[in-house]
Amino acid sequence: MSETLLNEIRATKPEAPSALRERVRALSVQEHAREPFLDRLRFTWGWRRLALAVPATVVVAFAAAGVIGLSRDGARDQVSAVGGGDTAVTSSTFEQAQAEDSAAPKAASPALPSRATGIVPPATGQLQRYEAELRLQVDDVEALSTATKRAQQIARSHDGSIASLQYDAPSEGVGTAQITLRVPTARVQSAMAQLSQLGTIVGQRYGIDDLQAQADSLQSQIEATQRQIAQLVSRLQSTTLSDAERAVLQSRLSNARTKLTGLREELRGTNAEARTATIYLTMTTEEIQAVPVGGGRLDGVKDVLAWEAIALLYALVVVGPFLIVGVIVWLMLRLRRRHVETRLLEQN
Amino acid sequence: MTLPRRQPASVAEQAASFAATAEEHLDDVYAYLVYLTRDRSLAEDLAADTFEKALKHWRRFDASRGSARTWLCQIARTTALDWFRAEERRRRREERAAVPERFEDGGLSPGLSPGLSPELEAALRELSAGEREVIALRVLLELDGDEAARVLGISPTAVSTRLSRALKKLEEKVSIHV
Repeated sequence: MSETLLNEIRATKPEAPSALRERVRALSVQEHAREPFLDRLRFTWGWRRLALAVPATVVVAFAAAGVIGLSRDGARDQVSAVGGGDTAVTSSTFEQAQAEDSAAPKAASPALPSRATGIVPPATGQLQRYEAELRLQVDDVEALSTATKRAQQIARSHDGSIASLQYDAPSEGVGTAQITLRVPTARVQSAMAQLSQLGTIVGQRYGIDDLQAQADSLQSQIEATQRQIAQLVSRLQSTTLSDAERAVLQSRLSNARTKLTGLREELRGTNAEARTATIYLTMTTEEIQAVPVGGGRLDGVKDVLAWEAIALLYALVVVGPFLIVGVIVWLMLRLRRRHVETRLLEQN
Repeated sequence: MTLPRRQPASVAEQAASFAATAEEHLDDVYAYLVYLTRDRSLAEDLAADTFEKALKHWRRFDASRGSARTWLCQIARTTALDWFRAEERRRRREERAAVPERFEDGGLSPGLSPGLSPELEAALRELSAGEREVIALRVLLELDGDEAARVLGISPTAVSTRLSRALKKLEEKVSIHV
Protein backbone atom coordinates (compact mmCIF):
# COMPACT_ATOMS: atom_id res chain seq x y z
CA MET A 1 0.00 0.00 0.00
CA SER A 2 1.53 3.26 -1.03
CA GLU A 3 2.08 5.86 1.62
CA THR A 4 0.61 8.42 -0.79
CA LEU A 5 -2.81 6.81 -0.62
CA LEU A 6 -2.70 6.63 3.16
CA ASN A 7 -1.65 10.26 3.37
CA GLU A 8 -4.46 11.18 1.03
CA ILE A 9 -6.97 9.38 3.23
CA ARG A 10 -5.61 11.13 6.31
CA ALA A 11 -5.46 14.52 4.63
CA THR A 12 -9.02 14.35 3.41
CA LYS A 13 -10.58 13.29 6.71
CA PRO A 14 -14.26 14.30 6.68
CA GLU A 15 -15.08 17.09 9.08
CA ALA A 16 -18.34 17.32 10.92
CA PRO A 17 -20.64 19.88 9.26
CA SER A 18 -21.56 22.92 11.31
CA ALA A 19 -25.18 21.76 11.54
CA LEU A 20 -24.11 18.54 13.27
CA ARG A 21 -21.74 20.47 15.50
CA GLU A 22 -24.63 22.69 16.59
CA ARG A 23 -26.87 19.66 17.22
CA VAL A 24 -24.25 18.06 19.44
CA ARG A 25 -23.62 21.35 21.25
CA ALA A 26 -27.34 21.66 21.88
CA LEU A 27 -27.27 18.15 23.34
CA SER A 28 -24.35 19.03 25.57
CA VAL A 29 -26.18 22.04 26.99
CA GLN A 30 -28.82 19.63 28.27
CA GLU A 31 -26.16 17.58 29.98
CA HIS A 32 -26.90 18.66 33.53
CA ALA A 33 -30.60 19.24 33.06
CA ARG A 34 -31.15 15.72 31.67
CA GLU A 35 -28.93 13.88 34.06
CA PRO A 36 -31.35 11.38 35.59
CA PHE A 37 -31.39 11.26 39.37
CA LEU A 38 -31.17 7.46 39.36
CA ASP A 39 -28.09 7.58 37.14
CA ARG A 40 -26.27 9.42 39.91
CA LEU A 41 -27.17 6.62 42.31
CA ARG A 42 -26.54 3.80 39.85
CA PHE A 43 -24.21 1.13 41.14
CA THR A 44 -22.62 -0.60 38.24
CA TRP A 45 -21.17 -4.04 38.80
CA GLY A 46 -17.85 -4.00 37.08
CA TRP A 47 -15.57 -7.00 36.96
CA ARG A 48 -13.34 -5.38 39.54
CA ARG A 49 -16.19 -5.04 41.99
CA LEU A 50 -17.17 -8.66 41.33
CA ALA A 51 -13.58 -9.72 41.88
CA LEU A 52 -13.75 -8.01 45.28
CA ALA A 53 -17.16 -9.51 46.06
CA VAL A 54 -15.87 -13.11 45.88
CA PRO A 55 -13.20 -12.81 48.63
CA ALA A 56 -15.59 -10.63 50.64
CA THR A 57 -18.22 -13.39 50.50
CA VAL A 58 -15.65 -15.95 51.61
CA VAL A 59 -14.63 -13.74 54.53
CA VAL A 60 -18.29 -13.26 55.55
CA ALA A 61 -18.86 -17.04 55.33
CA PHE A 62 -15.87 -17.72 57.60
CA ALA A 63 -16.87 -14.97 60.02
CA ALA A 64 -20.44 -16.29 60.22
CA ALA A 65 -19.12 -19.82 60.78
CA GLY A 66 -16.84 -18.52 63.53
CA VAL A 67 -19.56 -16.60 65.33
CA ILE A 68 -22.19 -19.34 65.07
CA GLY A 69 -19.74 -22.17 65.75
CA LEU A 70 -18.11 -20.57 68.78
CA SER A 71 -21.44 -19.50 70.27
CA ARG A 72 -22.68 -23.09 69.91
CA ASP A 73 -19.55 -24.35 71.66
CA GLY A 74 -20.19 -21.91 74.46
CA ALA A 75 -23.72 -23.16 74.94
CA ARG A 76 -22.51 -26.77 74.94
CA ASP A 77 -19.88 -25.96 77.57
CA GLN A 78 -22.57 -24.50 79.79
CA VAL A 79 -24.66 -27.66 79.52
CA SER A 80 -21.63 -29.79 80.34
CA ALA A 81 -20.85 -27.68 83.37
CA VAL A 82 -24.35 -28.32 84.71
CA GLY A 83 -23.94 -32.03 84.04
CA GLY A 84 -20.89 -32.48 86.22
CA GLY A 85 -17.13 -32.17 86.49
CA ASP A 86 -14.70 -31.64 83.69
CA THR A 87 -13.10 -35.07 83.59
CA ALA A 88 -12.38 -36.71 80.27
CA VAL A 89 -15.53 -38.63 79.50
CA THR A 90 -16.50 -40.56 76.44
CA SER A 91 -19.81 -41.16 74.84
CA SER A 92 -19.16 -44.68 73.66
CA THR A 93 -20.96 -46.29 70.81
CA PHE A 94 -22.95 -48.66 72.90
CA GLU A 95 -24.29 -45.94 75.15
CA GLN A 96 -25.36 -43.99 72.10
CA ALA A 97 -27.22 -47.05 70.90
CA GLN A 98 -29.03 -47.20 74.22
CA ALA A 99 -30.13 -43.59 74.13
CA GLU A 100 -33.87 -43.98 73.81
CA ASP A 101 -37.07 -42.81 75.39
CA SER A 102 -37.30 -43.37 79.15
CA ALA A 103 -40.99 -44.31 78.98
CA ALA A 104 -40.25 -47.22 76.68
CA PRO A 105 -39.41 -50.73 77.84
CA LYS A 106 -35.87 -51.75 78.65
CA ALA A 107 -34.76 -52.21 75.09
CA ALA A 108 -35.39 -48.55 74.58
CA SER A 109 -33.47 -46.73 77.27
CA PRO A 110 -33.63 -42.99 77.80
CA ALA A 111 -31.15 -40.58 76.29
CA LEU A 112 -27.93 -40.88 78.19
CA PRO A 113 -26.06 -37.86 79.50
CA SER A 114 -22.37 -37.96 78.81
CA ARG A 115 -21.37 -37.85 82.49
CA ALA A 116 -22.31 -40.30 85.20
CA THR A 117 -23.30 -37.50 87.56
CA GLY A 118 -25.78 -36.31 84.96
CA ILE A 119 -27.53 -39.68 84.83
CA VAL A 120 -31.30 -39.45 84.69
CA PRO A 121 -32.72 -40.25 88.16
CA PRO A 122 -35.48 -42.84 88.62
CA ALA A 123 -38.97 -41.43 88.67
CA THR A 124 -40.39 -40.91 92.16
CA GLY A 125 -43.82 -42.36 92.94
CA GLN A 126 -43.50 -44.73 90.00
CA LEU A 127 -42.41 -48.33 90.23
CA GLN A 128 -39.49 -48.96 87.91
CA ARG A 129 -36.81 -51.55 87.38
CA TYR A 130 -33.61 -49.51 87.21
CA GLU A 131 -30.38 -50.93 85.80
CA ALA A 132 -27.16 -49.07 85.10
CA GLU A 133 -23.90 -50.14 83.54
CA LEU A 134 -20.66 -48.32 84.09
CA ARG A 135 -17.31 -49.06 82.48
CA LEU A 136 -14.24 -47.50 83.99
CA GLN A 137 -10.59 -47.50 83.09
CA VAL A 138 -8.09 -47.55 85.95
CA ASP A 139 -4.35 -46.95 85.78
CA ASP A 140 -3.00 -50.34 86.88
CA VAL A 141 -3.72 -53.52 88.84
CA GLU A 142 -3.07 -51.80 92.16
CA ALA A 143 -5.59 -49.09 91.30
CA LEU A 144 -7.97 -51.83 90.20
CA SER A 145 -7.74 -53.51 93.59
CA THR A 146 -8.26 -50.26 95.44
CA ALA A 147 -11.20 -49.33 93.21
CA THR A 148 -12.82 -52.75 93.74
CA LYS A 149 -12.64 -52.37 97.51
CA ARG A 150 -13.96 -48.83 97.26
CA ALA A 151 -16.88 -50.01 95.09
CA GLN A 152 -17.91 -52.46 97.82
CA GLN A 153 -17.70 -49.67 100.41
CA ILE A 154 -19.85 -47.44 98.21
CA ALA A 155 -22.48 -50.19 97.92
CA ARG A 156 -22.59 -50.63 101.69
CA SER A 157 -22.63 -46.90 102.39
CA HIS A 158 -25.70 -46.65 100.21
CA ASP A 159 -27.48 -49.43 102.11
CA GLY A 160 -26.80 -51.71 99.19
CA SER A 161 -24.98 -54.98 98.66
CA ILE A 162 -22.69 -56.79 96.25
CA ALA A 163 -24.64 -59.33 94.22
CA SER A 164 -21.60 -60.70 92.42
CA LEU A 165 -17.93 -59.92 92.05
CA GLN A 166 -15.37 -61.24 89.60
CA TYR A 167 -11.88 -59.97 90.05
CA ASP A 168 -9.05 -60.93 87.70
CA ALA A 169 -5.71 -59.24 88.19
CA PRO A 170 -2.84 -61.16 86.60
CA SER A 171 0.73 -60.02 87.22
CA GLU A 172 1.00 -59.24 83.52
CA GLY A 173 -1.69 -58.29 81.09
CA VAL A 174 -5.04 -56.66 81.52
CA GLY A 175 -6.74 -56.67 84.92
CA THR A 176 -10.52 -56.66 85.11
CA ALA A 177 -13.12 -56.47 87.84
CA GLN A 178 -16.81 -57.07 87.23
CA ILE A 179 -19.07 -56.16 90.10
CA THR A 180 -22.85 -56.27 90.33
CA LEU A 181 -24.13 -53.91 92.99
CA ARG A 182 -27.64 -53.58 94.34
CA VAL A 183 -28.49 -50.27 95.93
CA PRO A 184 -31.81 -48.64 96.81
CA THR A 185 -33.23 -47.01 93.71
CA ALA A 186 -33.65 -43.76 95.56
CA ARG A 187 -29.87 -43.61 96.07
CA VAL A 188 -28.66 -44.91 92.73
CA GLN A 189 -27.76 -41.46 91.48
CA SER A 190 -25.44 -40.80 94.39
CA ALA A 191 -23.91 -44.27 94.08
CA MET A 192 -23.26 -43.80 90.35
CA ALA A 193 -21.66 -40.45 91.02
CA GLN A 194 -19.25 -41.94 93.54
CA LEU A 195 -18.51 -45.00 91.43
CA SER A 196 -17.69 -42.83 88.43
CA GLN A 197 -14.91 -41.23 90.47
CA LEU A 198 -13.06 -44.56 90.70
CA GLY A 199 -11.60 -44.23 87.21
CA THR A 200 -12.01 -42.72 83.81
CA ILE A 201 -15.41 -43.42 82.35
CA VAL A 202 -15.12 -45.17 79.02
CA GLY A 203 -18.77 -46.09 78.73
CA GLN A 204 -22.03 -46.02 80.55
CA ARG A 205 -25.66 -46.84 79.95
CA TYR A 206 -28.77 -47.45 81.90
CA GLY A 207 -32.16 -48.96 81.35
CA ILE A 208 -35.51 -48.41 82.98
CA ASP A 209 -38.44 -50.86 82.91
CA ASP A 210 -41.87 -49.68 83.90
CA LEU A 211 -43.13 -51.94 86.73
CA GLN A 212 -46.07 -49.76 87.70
CA ALA A 213 -48.44 -51.33 85.19
CA GLN A 214 -47.46 -54.79 86.35
CA ALA A 215 -47.99 -53.79 90.00
CA ASP A 216 -51.35 -52.22 89.25
CA SER A 217 -52.42 -55.37 87.42
CA LEU A 218 -51.38 -57.56 90.34
CA GLN A 219 -53.19 -55.28 92.78
CA SER A 220 -56.46 -55.49 90.83
CA GLN A 221 -56.11 -59.29 90.59
CA ILE A 222 -55.58 -59.45 94.35
CA GLU A 223 -58.68 -57.35 94.96
CA ALA A 224 -60.76 -59.50 92.59
CA THR A 225 -59.54 -62.67 94.27
CA GLN A 226 -60.37 -61.20 97.68
CA ARG A 227 -63.91 -60.43 96.50
CA GLN A 228 -64.22 -63.96 95.13
CA ILE A 229 -63.07 -65.43 98.46
CA ALA A 230 -65.59 -63.27 100.37
CA GLN A 231 -68.41 -64.49 98.12
CA LEU A 232 -67.36 -68.12 98.51
CA VAL A 233 -67.18 -67.75 102.30
CA SER A 234 -70.63 -66.17 102.31
CA ARG A 235 -72.14 -68.95 100.22
CA LEU A 236 -70.55 -71.64 102.40
CA GLN A 237 -72.33 -70.17 105.43
CA SER A 238 -75.68 -71.10 103.87
CA THR A 239 -77.46 -74.10 105.47
CA THR A 240 -79.30 -75.13 102.33
CA LEU A 241 -76.20 -76.38 100.50
CA SER A 242 -75.99 -80.01 99.60
CA ASP A 243 -72.81 -81.90 100.47
CA ALA A 244 -71.71 -81.99 96.86
CA GLU A 245 -72.19 -78.24 96.41
CA ARG A 246 -70.38 -77.51 99.63
CA ALA A 247 -67.45 -79.65 98.51
CA VAL A 248 -67.19 -77.76 95.19
CA LEU A 249 -67.29 -74.38 96.93
CA GLN A 250 -64.68 -75.49 99.46
CA SER A 251 -62.41 -76.50 96.61
CA ARG A 252 -62.88 -73.17 94.87
CA LEU A 253 -62.19 -71.27 98.08
CA SER A 254 -58.99 -73.19 98.60
CA ASN A 255 -57.82 -72.43 95.06
CA ALA A 256 -58.67 -68.76 95.46
CA ARG A 257 -56.70 -68.50 98.68
CA THR A 258 -53.70 -70.17 97.04
CA LYS A 259 -53.97 -67.79 94.12
CA LEU A 260 -54.20 -64.80 96.47
CA THR A 261 -51.07 -65.88 98.28
CA GLY A 262 -49.21 -66.18 94.97
CA LEU A 263 -50.39 -62.78 93.78
CA ARG A 264 -49.32 -61.13 97.03
CA GLU A 265 -45.91 -62.75 96.74
CA GLU A 266 -45.57 -61.52 93.20
CA LEU A 267 -46.57 -57.97 94.20
CA ARG A 268 -44.07 -57.99 97.03
CA GLY A 269 -41.38 -59.13 94.60
CA THR A 270 -42.27 -56.39 92.14
CA ASN A 271 -42.14 -53.77 94.86
CA ALA A 272 -38.81 -55.12 96.06
CA GLU A 273 -37.46 -55.05 92.51
CA ALA A 274 -38.56 -51.43 92.14
CA ARG A 275 -36.92 -50.45 95.42
CA THR A 276 -33.52 -51.81 94.42
CA ALA A 277 -31.45 -50.74 91.43
CA THR A 278 -28.76 -52.92 89.85
CA ILE A 279 -25.44 -51.45 88.82
CA TYR A 280 -23.11 -53.46 86.63
CA LEU A 281 -19.67 -52.03 87.21
CA THR A 282 -16.77 -53.10 84.98
CA MET A 283 -13.29 -51.81 85.67
CA THR A 284 -10.29 -52.55 83.51
CA THR A 285 -6.66 -51.61 83.25
CA GLU A 286 -6.83 -51.86 79.46
CA GLU A 287 -6.04 -48.55 77.84
CA ILE A 288 -9.02 -47.31 75.88
CA GLN A 289 -8.76 -44.20 73.78
CA ALA A 290 -11.14 -41.65 75.24
CA VAL A 291 -12.76 -39.37 72.73
CA PRO A 292 -13.40 -36.00 74.36
CA VAL A 293 -17.03 -35.04 74.32
CA GLY A 294 -17.73 -32.15 71.98
CA GLY A 295 -14.21 -32.09 70.54
CA GLY A 296 -12.24 -28.89 70.27
CA ARG A 297 -13.61 -25.38 70.26
CA LEU A 298 -13.24 -25.21 66.51
CA ASP A 299 -15.54 -28.20 65.91
CA GLY A 300 -18.58 -25.94 65.82
CA VAL A 301 -16.87 -23.67 63.33
CA LYS A 302 -15.98 -26.68 61.18
CA ASP A 303 -19.57 -27.90 61.35
CA VAL A 304 -20.96 -24.54 60.22
CA LEU A 305 -18.36 -24.32 57.45
CA ALA A 306 -19.29 -27.83 56.35
CA TRP A 307 -22.96 -26.85 56.24
CA GLU A 308 -22.10 -23.72 54.29
CA ALA A 309 -20.15 -25.85 51.82
CA ILE A 310 -23.09 -28.26 51.54
CA ALA A 311 -25.48 -25.36 50.95
CA LEU A 312 -23.14 -23.94 48.31
CA LEU A 313 -22.83 -27.33 46.63
CA TYR A 314 -26.60 -27.76 46.73
CA ALA A 315 -27.09 -24.32 45.21
CA LEU A 316 -24.56 -25.14 42.50
CA VAL A 317 -26.24 -28.46 41.75
CA VAL A 318 -29.63 -26.77 41.52
CA VAL A 319 -28.56 -23.58 39.76
CA GLY A 320 -25.65 -25.07 37.81
CA PRO A 321 -27.61 -26.58 34.92
CA PHE A 322 -29.56 -23.33 34.47
CA LEU A 323 -26.30 -21.38 34.54
CA ILE A 324 -24.75 -23.66 31.92
CA VAL A 325 -27.83 -23.39 29.70
CA GLY A 326 -27.83 -19.61 30.21
CA VAL A 327 -24.17 -19.33 29.24
CA ILE A 328 -24.71 -21.54 26.17
CA VAL A 329 -27.70 -19.44 25.09
CA TRP A 330 -25.72 -16.25 25.67
CA LEU A 331 -22.79 -17.57 23.63
CA MET A 332 -25.10 -18.67 20.81
CA LEU A 333 -26.83 -15.28 20.71
CA ARG A 334 -23.45 -13.55 20.74
CA LEU A 335 -22.22 -15.76 17.91
CA ARG A 336 -25.37 -15.13 15.91
CA ARG A 337 -25.13 -11.39 16.49
CA ARG A 338 -21.50 -11.44 15.39
CA HIS A 339 -22.47 -13.40 12.29
CA VAL A 340 -25.26 -10.95 11.42
CA GLU A 341 -22.93 -8.00 11.96
CA THR A 342 -20.29 -9.51 9.70
CA ARG A 343 -22.89 -10.11 7.00
CA LEU A 344 -24.22 -6.57 7.31
CA LEU A 345 -20.72 -5.12 7.10
CA GLU A 346 -19.98 -7.20 4.01
CA GLN A 347 -23.22 -6.20 2.29
CA ASN A 348 -22.92 -2.44 2.85
CA MET B 1 3.06 1.65 6.48
CA THR B 2 3.59 3.22 9.89
CA LEU B 3 0.62 3.96 12.06
CA PRO B 4 1.23 6.16 15.11
CA ARG B 5 0.13 4.87 18.49
CA ARG B 6 -2.14 6.98 20.61
CA GLN B 7 -1.57 7.68 24.27
CA PRO B 8 -3.76 5.64 26.63
CA ALA B 9 -6.82 7.22 28.17
CA SER B 10 -5.95 9.73 30.82
CA VAL B 11 -7.74 10.28 34.10
CA ALA B 12 -8.34 13.89 33.08
CA GLU B 13 -10.34 12.59 30.16
CA GLN B 14 -12.79 11.04 32.56
CA ALA B 15 -13.18 14.26 34.44
CA ALA B 16 -13.77 16.30 31.32
CA SER B 17 -17.33 17.24 30.77
CA PHE B 18 -19.38 15.59 28.10
CA ALA B 19 -19.49 18.83 26.13
CA ALA B 20 -15.72 19.04 25.89
CA THR B 21 -15.42 15.36 25.00
CA ALA B 22 -18.10 15.65 22.32
CA GLU B 23 -16.43 18.71 20.86
CA GLU B 24 -13.05 16.99 20.84
CA HIS B 25 -14.15 13.77 19.18
CA LEU B 26 -17.02 14.88 16.98
CA ASP B 27 -14.93 14.92 13.81
CA ASP B 28 -13.51 11.47 14.52
CA VAL B 29 -16.93 9.94 15.12
CA TYR B 30 -18.36 11.64 12.06
CA ALA B 31 -15.45 10.59 9.83
CA TYR B 32 -15.73 6.99 11.05
CA LEU B 33 -19.45 6.95 10.30
CA VAL B 34 -18.93 8.49 6.87
CA TYR B 35 -16.53 5.71 5.97
CA LEU B 36 -18.79 3.07 7.47
CA THR B 37 -21.98 4.19 5.70
CA ARG B 38 -20.54 5.88 2.57
CA ASP B 39 -23.20 8.53 3.13
CA ARG B 40 -22.39 11.89 4.70
CA SER B 41 -25.96 12.91 5.45
CA LEU B 42 -26.69 9.53 7.00
CA ALA B 43 -23.44 9.76 8.95
CA GLU B 44 -24.57 13.13 10.25
CA ASP B 45 -27.81 11.67 11.60
CA LEU B 46 -26.05 8.64 13.05
CA ALA B 47 -23.43 10.86 14.68
CA ALA B 48 -26.17 12.90 16.35
CA ASP B 49 -27.80 9.66 17.56
CA THR B 50 -24.44 8.47 18.78
CA PHE B 51 -23.86 11.55 20.92
CA GLU B 52 -27.40 11.41 22.22
CA LYS B 53 -26.81 7.83 23.39
CA ALA B 54 -23.41 8.79 24.75
CA LEU B 55 -24.95 11.59 26.77
CA LYS B 56 -27.51 9.16 28.18
CA HIS B 57 -24.78 6.79 29.29
CA TRP B 58 -22.07 9.33 30.09
CA ARG B 59 -22.04 8.39 33.77
CA ARG B 60 -21.15 4.82 32.88
CA PHE B 61 -18.08 5.86 30.92
CA ASP B 62 -14.95 4.56 32.67
CA ALA B 63 -11.74 6.19 31.39
CA SER B 64 -9.64 3.43 32.95
CA ARG B 65 -11.19 0.92 30.54
CA GLY B 66 -10.46 2.89 27.38
CA SER B 67 -10.39 6.35 25.90
CA ALA B 68 -13.50 8.42 25.31
CA ARG B 69 -12.85 8.24 21.59
CA THR B 70 -12.85 4.43 21.66
CA TRP B 71 -16.03 4.46 23.72
CA LEU B 72 -17.71 6.90 21.32
CA CYS B 73 -16.64 4.84 18.31
CA GLN B 74 -18.12 1.73 19.93
CA ILE B 75 -21.44 3.53 20.36
CA ALA B 76 -21.22 4.87 16.81
CA ARG B 77 -20.60 1.38 15.46
CA THR B 78 -23.56 -0.07 17.38
CA THR B 79 -25.75 2.79 16.13
CA ALA B 80 -24.66 2.19 12.53
CA LEU B 81 -25.20 -1.56 12.80
CA ASP B 82 -28.66 -0.96 14.22
CA TRP B 83 -29.37 1.27 11.24
CA PHE B 84 -28.05 -1.38 8.81
CA ARG B 85 -30.35 -3.94 10.43
CA ALA B 86 -33.36 -1.63 10.25
CA GLU B 87 -32.52 -0.83 6.65
CA GLU B 88 -32.25 -4.50 5.78
CA ARG B 89 -35.64 -5.18 7.35
CA ARG B 90 -37.13 -2.24 5.44
CA ARG B 91 -35.65 -3.52 2.19
CA ARG B 92 -37.09 -6.99 2.77
CA ARG B 93 -40.52 -5.55 3.50
CA GLU B 94 -40.37 -3.51 0.31
CA GLU B 95 -39.20 -6.49 -1.71
CA ARG B 96 -42.15 -8.50 -0.42
CA ALA B 97 -44.47 -5.63 -1.32
CA ALA B 98 -42.83 -5.47 -4.78
CA VAL B 99 -41.88 -1.84 -4.34
CA PRO B 100 -38.45 -1.61 -5.91
CA GLU B 101 -37.29 1.26 -3.74
CA ARG B 102 -34.14 0.56 -1.81
CA PHE B 103 -31.32 2.30 -0.18
CA GLU B 104 -28.96 3.43 -2.90
CA ASP B 105 -25.37 3.13 -1.93
CA GLY B 106 -24.38 6.74 -2.21
CA GLY B 107 -25.84 7.32 -5.63
CA LEU B 108 -27.02 10.83 -4.90
CA SER B 109 -25.13 11.41 -1.69
CA PRO B 110 -22.06 13.58 -1.78
CA GLY B 111 -18.60 11.95 -1.78
CA LEU B 112 -16.92 10.51 1.27
CA SER B 113 -14.71 13.51 1.56
CA PRO B 114 -14.34 16.55 -0.72
CA GLY B 115 -10.57 16.23 -1.18
CA LEU B 116 -10.44 12.54 -2.14
CA SER B 117 -9.30 11.73 -5.67
CA PRO B 118 -12.07 10.09 -7.78
CA GLU B 119 -10.06 6.85 -8.06
CA LEU B 120 -9.59 6.52 -4.30
CA GLU B 121 -13.20 7.56 -3.68
CA ALA B 122 -14.45 4.93 -6.10
CA ALA B 123 -12.12 2.28 -4.67
CA LEU B 124 -13.24 3.03 -1.12
CA ARG B 125 -16.89 2.84 -2.13
CA GLU B 126 -16.31 -0.61 -3.60
CA LEU B 127 -14.94 -1.94 -0.33
CA SER B 128 -17.30 -3.54 2.16
CA ALA B 129 -18.34 -1.65 5.28
CA GLY B 130 -16.17 -4.00 7.34
CA GLU B 131 -13.13 -3.15 5.24
CA ARG B 132 -13.83 0.57 5.23
CA GLU B 133 -14.32 0.72 8.99
CA VAL B 134 -10.96 -0.87 9.75
CA ILE B 135 -9.30 1.63 7.40
CA ALA B 136 -11.21 4.44 9.08
CA LEU B 137 -10.19 3.38 12.55
CA ARG B 138 -6.54 2.58 11.86
CA VAL B 139 -5.69 5.08 9.12
CA LEU B 140 -8.14 7.93 9.39
CA LEU B 141 -8.56 8.07 13.17
CA GLU B 142 -5.11 6.61 13.80
CA LEU B 143 -6.27 4.33 16.61
CA ASP B 144 -3.71 1.77 17.73
CA GLY B 145 -4.33 -1.95 17.30
CA ASP B 146 -5.72 -2.46 20.80
CA GLU B 147 -8.14 0.46 20.56
CA ALA B 148 -9.38 -0.62 17.14
CA ALA B 149 -9.77 -4.17 18.41
CA ARG B 150 -11.88 -2.89 21.31
CA VAL B 151 -14.16 -0.97 18.95
CA LEU B 152 -14.57 -3.91 16.57
CA GLY B 153 -14.83 -6.55 19.28
CA ILE B 154 -12.08 -8.69 17.82
CA SER B 155 -8.45 -9.39 18.69
CA PRO B 156 -5.62 -6.99 17.73
CA THR B 157 -4.19 -9.71 15.50
CA ALA B 158 -7.50 -9.99 13.66
CA VAL B 159 -7.50 -6.22 13.26
CA SER B 160 -4.03 -6.34 11.66
CA THR B 161 -5.10 -9.11 9.31
CA ARG B 162 -8.32 -7.33 8.37
CA LEU B 163 -6.48 -4.03 7.81
CA SER B 164 -3.82 -5.67 5.68
CA ARG B 165 -6.43 -7.33 3.44
CA ALA B 166 -8.50 -4.15 3.20
CA LEU B 167 -5.52 -2.02 2.18
CA LYS B 168 -4.39 -4.59 -0.37
CA LYS B 169 -7.87 -4.69 -1.86
CA LEU B 170 -8.05 -0.91 -1.85
CA GLU B 171 -4.75 -0.65 -3.70
CA GLU B 172 -5.92 -3.15 -6.30
CA LYS B 173 -9.14 -1.26 -6.85
CA VAL B 174 -7.34 2.08 -7.07
CA SER B 175 -5.01 0.65 -9.71
CA ILE B 176 -8.04 -0.59 -11.68
CA HIS B 177 -9.70 2.82 -11.57
CA VAL B 178 -6.50 4.56 -12.60
